[in-house]
Amino acid sequence: MTPAVSRRTYLFTWLTLLGLTLLTTLLGFINMGPFSIVIAVALAAIKAALIAGFFMHALFEGKLVRVAIAAGVIWFLIFVSLTLGDYITRGWLPFPGK
Amino acid sequence: MQPALALVPKNYLTEKQGLLSWFFTTDHKRIAILYTASITALFFLGGFFALLMRLELLTPETNLVQPETYNKLFTMHGIIMVWFFLIPSIPNTLGNFFIPMVIGAKDLAFPKINLLSWYIFMLGAAVTIYALFRGGVDTGWTFYTPFSTSYSTTYVVAAAIGILIAGFSSIMTGLNFIATIHKMRAPGLTWYRLPIFVWSMYATSLILVLATPVLAVTLLMVAVERLAQVGIFDPALGGDPVLFQHMFWFYSHPAVYIMVLPGMAVVSEIIPAFARKPLFGYKAVAYSSMAIAVLGFLVWGHHMFVAGTSVYSAMTFSLLSYFVAVPSAIKVFNWTATIYGGALSWDTPMLYAVGFIGLFTIGGMTGLFLAALGLDVHVTDTYFVIAHFHYIMVGGTVMAYLGGVHYWWPKISGKMYPEGLAKLSAMAVFLGFNLTFFPQFILGYLGMPRRYAAYPPEFHMLNVLSTAGASILGVGYVMPLCYLLWSWKYGKEAEPNPWRATGLEWKTPSPPPTHNFEITPVVTWNAYDYKAQQEELQLVP
Amino acid sequence: MSPEIAPLALHEQFANPNQQRETASFGMWIFIISEMMLFGGLFVAFTVYRMYYPQAFDDGSAGMDIVLGSINTAVLICSSFTMALAVYSAEVGSRKLVSAFLVLTMIIGAVFLAIKFTEYYKHFLDHKAPAVWFDSAGPGGPKIELFYVFYFIMTGLHALHMIVGIGLLMATLIRNLAGQITAAYYTPIEVAGLYWHFIDIIWVFLYGIFYISGLHK
Repeated sequence: MTPAVSRRTYLFTWLTLLGLTLLTTLLGFINMGPFSIVIAVALAAIKAALIAGFFMHALFEGKLVRVAIAAGVIWFLIFVSLTLGDYITRGWLPFPGK
Repeated sequence: MQPALALVPKNYLTEKQGLLSWFFTTDHKRIAILYTASITALFFLGGFFALLMRLELLTPETNLVQPETYNKLFTMHGIIMVWFFLIPSIPNTLGNFFIPMVIGAKDLAFPKINLLSWYIFMLGAAVTIYALFRGGVDTGWTFYTPFSTSYSTTYVVAAAIGILIAGFSSIMTGLNFIATIHKMRAPGLTWYRLPIFVWSMYATSLILVLATPVLAVTLLMVAVERLAQVGIFDPALGGDPVLFQHMFWFYSHPAVYIMVLPGMAVVSEIIPAFARKPLFGYKAVAYSSMAIAVLGFLVWGHHMFVAGTSVYSAMTFSLLSYFVAVPSAIKVFNWTATIYGGALSWDTPMLYAVGFIGLFTIGGMTGLFLAALGLDVHVTDTYFVIAHFHYIMVGGTVMAYLGGVHYWWPKISGKMYPEGLAKLSAMAVFLGFNLTFFPQFILGYLGMPRRYAAYPPEFHMLNVLSTAGASILGVGYVMPLCYLLWSWKYGKEAEPNPWRATGLEWKTPSPPPTHNFEITPVVTWNAYDYKAQQEELQLVP
Repeated sequence: MSPEIAPLALHEQFANPNQQRETASFGMWIFIISEMMLFGGLFVAFTVYRMYYPQAFDDGSAGMDIVLGSINTAVLICSSFTMALAVYSAEVGSRKLVSAFLVLTMIIGAVFLAIKFTEYYKHFLDHKAPAVWFDSAGPGGPKIELFYVFYFIMTGLHALHMIVGIGLLMATLIRNLAGQITAAYYTPIEVAGLYWHFIDIIWVFLYGIFYISGLHK
């Protein structure tokens, strides 16, 4: 049975990942204030997508696996957004402790 | 070879004998029994702590135990009941036993992981009991910081590690169930032909897999903070105690759905069987199970209304909490509609199931009281909350568990339990339960705080009623332990399908063979097909 | 030996090899989702404090060794590459290449751990190891220490997963040497590969949150 992903694809994925790592490091030297970490995490997410899609064959698996991955991401986002929602909205009212 | 005399047909109990065959089994049915023995013992341990608490609360002063000891009592009661009884109860006993059977499979997807999950559960229980013997924990089962991390002098780390370990057992169970239900259904058994038992257990498994890891890291951080004396949740060092609560409740709210969804799963099987009618609104109930699992993750902040979260956060969580009540209500309406017009029989499982519906409804509706911000300020951290969750956990889940155990007892043991005694203990449980916990709603509304060993004298009478109820409830729990064990040896032989219920599990002998089905069934019918069964019975004179 | 005839041990709960393969693979994915929530919980806590103390966390990040961190990221990416090639070799039935790539992956993984523990030791020497030896100079001190607490917990948990991963690869290697992994049934190595790649993904995010934000200082 021919493998789902070719060695060439793996090679290009590998090189892209190394390139993105270099990019992340170089961009880090620029002072972008709060955006530094946002950019770093965004690049990490792209790398993660590449690893998942090609090395883990997520792009070639059935719907079930992709739904599972989406569920994991969504649940993490639920946790982070509702928690940060509390912290960001603190102090919006002129009452102490609210 | 001589033809063997058919003395005792081989079943999962008799096929292999000896202790080692039990402790190294990979048969889901035997593992279910291992779990049943463990959680029963732990239930009575947790119940013992409750007994001591109720005895202390017989009088307004603290005369039985010191307040410090009382703190340990309610903590250990909570920890054991939540993590070592309720969470594993129905999933690891009835779920383990019946999910493969109900879907026509020979076992779960990963039988060895199933066995491993039991050993890990026992390890977690052992570590927690170690903490108990070293003097217990006094933080409350909620481990709120900074008390648990900086000020408590009890065995917090040991208890946290014990619970963390047991959490991995939960994750393995959920993983096993999800894989099994997706991949190992019998040919023809599409999702919409599955009994609701499977839908609800699947929803439970989703929560197990997605929520429990967060508990693990939360307890890990508490342990690290205590051991390393760093300040993750310590305000003096820049930490936020409320962050602990966010992380703890992100798991612990869905955890209560881990506890109640399996109860709903069992009730959804019992009601059609004893009304001899298909479950009303199959798809609505199936989707509601999934909705509860999803929405249950969006409401954790309602445990933190007075903790210091922002008002907008509180309002959001309050609104979302109202939404999560809807699917539960849909289920209650559908069960009721199933009962209506049915050919009812009132055997013990049905008594427990109907009891579940009533008591769960009361518990659920009082949850709406608590979801209302203004009301919550008044009743939070009072006995109102305690009554609310005991109505759901005990009036709901424990009754459903007992109902399920009785319903499936003939299949599990091959014997019938004594119906008269069973009805009596069901009555004792129902009456004892209500006498214990209804006064607590009133007490809470009148302002009696929770986790207090002493209380003002005006609350005396209601507390006495509550303790009296607890003793009746205790009797109601001890009785099944006795007569079920008795019936295992001396009970009447059970037929394969004593309740004439639908479901693949009833098509096997009682008790079933190790591999459940000699020939894998091919399913072409819907669940709860009582009409077809009726027609079949009419054909046979 | 013909690669089609697989000495597959069909576990008795499965009806056919395909079901076994799909179920095993799906089971590992579910496990990975649970791990997403495991590390995810820590990421949430970190994010909250990062939002509260951006300066202190940037200062903490400035104390990280970008050279070692970047090398480690590249090292793990290489190990994912070799792991993918190991699975590929199994898919086409080259047993020797499977062993070679597995060994290579394990070695690279060990290199990662060596560098990591070197970093930990360096932090200790720089007095940046919370609970063990931490000098927090100035009023922002405790908050910088909070950064390092998260660093040690999260990378420590990651390192623990790496160790388990190397053990898993060792077990896979043994199975391969025993001839249990063939082109017809290579699920064990596929499943090990999924785990390994996921641990790499976690590191990629850890690198992003710990090493980069203080670089401009």
